[in-house]
Parts: sequence; C-alpha cells; structure tokens
Amino acid sequence: MKLEIGNFHVKDIIFGGSTSFSNGILTINKKECLDFVMSDEHITEAELYIVKPGDKVRLCPVKEAIEPRVKLNGDPLFPGYTGELVQAGNGKCHALKDCSLLVVGKHWGGFQDGLIDMSGEGAKYTYFSQLKNIVLVADTDEDFEKHEQQKKNKALRMAGHKLAEFIGGCVKDLKPEDVETYELEPVTKRDEKTAKLPSVVYVMQPQSQMEEMGYNDLVYGWDTNHMLPTFMHPNEVLDGAVISGSFMPCSSKWATYDFQNCPTIKRLYKEHGKTLNFLGVIMSNLNVALEQKNRSALFVAQIAKSLGADGAIVAEEGYGNPDADFVGCIVALEDAGVKTVGVTNECTGRDGKSQPLVALDEKLTAIVSTGNVSELIELPPMETVLGELESLARDGLSGGWANDEILGPSVRSDDSIIMENNAMFCGDMIIGWSPKTMREF
Amino acid sequence: MKKAIMYVNQFFGQIGGEDKADFKPVIKCGLVGPAVELQKHLDAEVTHTIICGDNFIGSNTEKAMEIIMGFLKDKEFDIFFAGPAFQAGRYGVACGQVCKAVKEKFNIPVITSMHIENPGVEMFKKDMYIFKGGHSAAKMKDDVKAMAAFGNKLLKGEENLGADEEGYYARGIRHQVWRKDGVMAADRAVEMTIKKLNGKPYETELPMPKMDRVPIAPAIKDLSKAVIALVTSGGIVPIDNPDRIQSASATRWGRYNIEGIDDLKEGVYKTIHAGYDPAAADADPDVVVPLDVMRAYEKEGKIGRLHNYFYSTVGTGTTQGEAARMANEMIPYLKEDEVDAIILTST
Repeated sequence: MKLEIGNFHVKDIIFGGSTSFSNGILTINKKECLDFVMSDEHITEAELYIVKPGDKVRLCPVKEAIEPRVKLNGDPLFPGYTGELVQAGNGKCHALKDCSLLVVGKHWGGFQDGLIDMSGEGAKYTYFSQLKNIVLVADTDEDFEKHEQQKKNKALRMAGHKLAEFIGGCVKDLKPEDVETYELEPVTKRDEKTAKLPSVVYVMQPQSQMEEMGYNDLVYGWDTNHMLPTFMHPNEVLDGAVISGSFMPCSSKWATYDFQNCPTIKRLYKEHGKTLNFLGVIMSNLNVALEQKNRSALFVAQIAKSLGADGAIVAEEGYGNPDADFVGCIVALEDAGVKTVGVTNECTGRDGKSQPLVALDEKLTAIVSTGNVSELIELPPMETVLGELESLARDGLSGGWANDEILGPSVRSDDSIIMENNAMFCGDMIIGWSPKTMREF
Repeated sequence: MKKAIMYVNQFFGQIGGEDKADFKPVIKCGLVGPAVELQKHLDAEVTHTIICGDNFIGSNTEKAMEIIMGFLKDKEFDIFFAGPAFQAGRYGVACGQVCKAVKEKFNIPVITSMHIENPGVEMFKKDMYIFKGGHSAAKMKDDVKAMAAFGNKLLKGEENLGADEEGYYARGIRHQVWRKDGVMAADRAVEMTIKKLNGKPYETELPMPKMDRVPIAPAIKDLSKAVIALVTSGGIVPIDNPDRIQSASATRWGRYNIEGIDDLKEGVYKTIHAGYDPAAADADPDVVVPLDVMRAYEKEGKIGRLHNYFYSTVGTGTTQGEAARMANEMIPYLKEDEVDAIILTST
C-alpha cells in the first residue's frame, strides 16, 4: 500500500472571493462554504470564523478538528462516512497543512466537548492553539439531545467532515509544495535487512465504550464498539479510515485530525528499515464489560504474536474505566513475549495524590505519560469567545461545573474560567503530540 | 523578614546524650546547634529552637505534642524545620511527628532531612518534604544547606522542580509538567520501544506504585442472619439529587432511607452518572441498586435484613483518593448498624 500526501503549507487564511489556495494563502469564500453547510437540513444556523495562534479568542464547546484534504481520484475523504465505502490508504491526496477545521457548538456543549484558547496561558494546553483554524460555529435541529449531557453531535460533526473535504477541494488540481510518501511492503515480503530488525506493531485503542451507536469512533463508518481487534495498514489510519467519536472527557480524546496526522505512526515509519520493522497497526477498541476487555486483549496478543511482533506500542483514547483495557492489553502482550510500551494520561486528582490509573500491574514497565486529566486550570477572560462559554459550566463538560462551594462556578461573571484539564480539547494528546509528562512533587 | 523555627533533639540541642533522652520539650529564643548552620543559609530569621529528648517524645507523644504546639501557638513563623535526623530512628520519627503536627495546625511548609534507612522516611514522606540526608552528623552542613536552599525557594514562591531534582523523597504527588526539551510523546514512545527491544536502559514515566489491593473478605457463614447494605458508584439518587452529587469526578455522596420501600421507582429515583447510558437505570433504578431483589430475599429469609439506607456516589472520573475518603465517611454509619456485608454495585 502506497499513500502520497501532497502538502500545501498554509501561512494565512483569509475570507475572499473564491475558495482557493495561492502562495501560502488559503482564501475562503464564506458564503459558498456556509451555503454548503446549510444544505444539510439539520443545520439551523452556521457562521465561519478564522482564528490564528496569538488571537485573543477562546473556543467552547469544541466538538471536532479535521484537516482539510482531497483525494485526487475522487474518492470520499472519509470512506463509509462522508461517502461510499472504498479502500483508504492508497493513492494520492492533497492536504492543507498547519491548519484545521474546528467545529464549535453555537450554544450547546456536552461531556465530550472541549475548550481551546488561541493565546495566553491557556494556549499551551491544546495542540490546536498552534494551528491556523477555520472555525465552523453552528447549531442543529437535534432538540432531543440539547439538554443531554452525552451528545452524539451527529449533524455538527458530519458538517465539519464534509466542509473539510469541500475546502480541501481547492488544492485538488494544484502542485503540492512537498510530498510525503508512506509505503510498507506486505509483512512477509520485506527485504532481508528490514526483516531482521526487531518488529513492532502499534496498538490503537480508540474510544468505543458507548453501547448505543452514534457516539463511538468509526472505522470505515463502522462503530468500533461492534468490532474485534483487527490488523490495519497504518496508511488507512492516516488516510481517513478512522474518525473521532463523541464520547469521553475531552482531554483524553483523539480528534479526526489526530488520526489523519498520527505522530506515533509517522515516527514508526521514520524508524522503519533503520532501527525497527514496522509491521502495522492493530486496531483494537475500549469496552465496558470485563469479558469484552479480556476478549480484545486476547485478540491483540494473538495478532501481534502471529505477525511475529517483538515489540508493541499501546495507546488508549481514554482514562478511568478504559485503563483496565489498556493495562489488560499490555499484560496480555507481555505474557505473549511482546515487549510493550504504553502511552496514556493519568488521573492523579487535583492534589496529585490519587492512584494514576484505575488498574495497575507490575508488567507495565515502560509507560509514556502525557498529562493529568484533573489538573486545575484558572484562566483570565478572553476578548472574544466563539461558541457559548457558559456551556463549560452549564452543560456538563467533563472539566466544568455549574457551581462548587469552594471554587465557585467554572465560568465567572467576568468570563474568567476555572476548570479541570479534562475539558481541554484533546489536550493530553495521547495520540503522540504531548510535550507534557508527569513528575513527582 | 520571614521567620523560621527549628526542632532538634536533646543531643543536637546540646542538652546531653542518651542519658538525657527523657528531656522534656523546651523552646529557646535564638539559635542552638543545627539552627546556627540553618541561619547561615536561610533568607529568613530563625527565631527559636525547640529541643526535646527522643525518648520523651517517643513514649509521651501526645503530651510532647501538646507542649510543643503550646510553644508555637503565639509565635509568628512562616516555615518550620526539623533535624536533620540522619539515620537516627527515634529522632527521625520525632521530626516526622512534629513536622506533621505543625503542618496540620499552622498550614505552613515543613522541611526535614533523613537518611534513606531511617524508618521516619517511610512513615512520613507522604506528609512533608524529607530531604535525602546523610548517614551521620558528618553530613550536617550539607543536609542543613539543602533544607535551607529549598526553604528559600518555598518562601520566595519559586518553582518547585520536583522531588528528584530538588532532592527530597517522592511524596506520591504527581502533577503534569511541560518538558523543557519539548520532545513529544510519540518520539518518547518509539525511542523507549527501541531501547526496550535492544535491552538498553530506559526510564518509564510512570513507575508502578505499590499495589493497594484489598483482599476479598471471607464468605458469610449464615446469610439468613446477616445485615446487608447496598452501596453504589452508579449514581442512583432521589429524583432531585438532594446532595448535589456531581455527574463525574464526584466528591460528594449521599445516603437515602429505604425503610418501607420495596422498589426504586422510575421518576422517584434516577441516575446522575455521566459515564454510561442512563436510559435503563432511569427506567428502573433497581438495575443498579437492586432493592427489589433484596426485599424479596428478605421476605424469603435468605438474608437477615437489609440496612435502612442505600449509599450512592458517581464513579466516573472519580479519583481513587476521593473514593477512599467517601468510603471512610460511609463506614461509621454501616458499622453503627452492624452491617455484615455490602453489595457494591457499579454500572
């Protein structure tokens, strides 16, 4: 499988006459894009904004982030989701780099939604503060979940994915500034030198804990709750086969952008043929019942072993209950003789004194730790808010609260905020971006 | 100028050796023994030295604490030091006890120093800054200097760089930090994998803490006489959530009277738990708190009786520390009614 991603580095984004890319400037025709978004009858209001690093802008409730791209052969960007089911991971696509399309609720937030600050102290908490972003702020007719803490955000997320594809279309016929090529020979057909290197699998545990459809991450449009661990080509992950869901406290989540750009996959590619033999991705999941957790761990260990993996990296999109899946999977791999490294965040409490993961095992000897979900964060007011800041306090965002007798409400009358890291949009960057670690004090 | 007070034992307080170990606590204005050295390095005035015999504080701990707290109650001080205690076991424990009491009562930073083999390290390292000290008094100057340097940092509000870097024993307090080199997790993970595969040394970022496992209780011999209680982390509450238990990361819990109630009805009870689909639990709260079944068992004589309350909180995102605290708050009520067993339901 060979994937070529042609990059167009976005230096600035402006609104203008036609949606186009020239000399590093991405121009967005606002009306055309909004008409496209509004063509979905479930979207009742929509507005577009542009935000850049350093802007005094706070976004909340943020629901999704997507990298605008286009497939040159006309295939859908997210097969099985924004279009028909076709193979991802092969062929050519063009990507607008250093930018993302963010989807923000005009009013309503939920457990899974997050916050982004584009400048100031708060900017260090999210990856997306460093990108130039096209922001879709919209509302929907999904009245049934307006007051639900758990929201599927179906129409808003779909609008974001489709708009990212729509905008990506503007570079379809242009020549990219540079091209990244991702190619792996079939596992049994690798050159002698590579085959002799220690072989490694990347085990991804995307969020899939909701029994009801509509909340979980999707693989080719298929609910990850309804699958058993399976072997995937890393190119599929980089090329839109997996999209983010709408469940889990936000700092632990992986946005669709994160899947499209997964830095752990990219680093493994870089080492492939030099220090290791990158076998591919075992796409696992996260479950609720113990038997389901054990079943997935069993499948992962078996696939890794059958592929001849010497090593594995396991990453979980979640914390709390999913720690049991994470720990169980690592133990199963170690028991099968696969030397494993885990990537996770921790939940040590606001005072840092709590047990870091809900499950522990002495077989977890190599962990990369990306943050503490319960760290308390206080931030001053921001000049501009996109979305509705009150949602952080009112709508049960995992890191916000309506009131607390000591700390007061998460959103204060002057629009300054106090929250847990939990609500920072994909803030713990378990996908691999995280410059954070944990330290003993 | 900020002020400090120091605690030392009878030996370092220049009262005497083992024969004076029963010496009762005294407080002296100014500097005695190690306090002289402390004053050289500390950017605060060391106003008093407290001296107490190791045996006295060991065998009359309560009395000694009462006297020492009495000394301190009218003093102005911003930071408290004790020791260094080196490998002296009784002295180390005394430093730990005094520092712990001072911290609790006056809410100021407390700093001591001990050798790793001092039993006071294991007993008190979670409660205070204990610096990694020398084996014997030959290390006095180094140990006091380290305590003073960190004391200066705390007094000035400078950044604490963490247990390893500063030189104190890890307290079991973990916080997130931004790596100075900015190396992202993906690179750290792949590099750690390569090292692990090649048998090279690497450092995990989450050393496994000691497992805090609770053994499974022995089975009840005669269930027909047992008092059973229902406790849940599934968030079942009366419909108006009277204790305002949070839907995630809970710090609150409630106990609800179920005398004369045989069934938790829809619309009367509900779940406020945000970590699972509430539909089934709201439609029939008994699926999480099985009151209906327990009442049936009670009538059949299968169990002795059901405790008159059920206890509820929310487990999702709730820290182990908070969960343990809430359990400790529930236990007295359960003990008072001589509950023999608890059915703990999750979600």
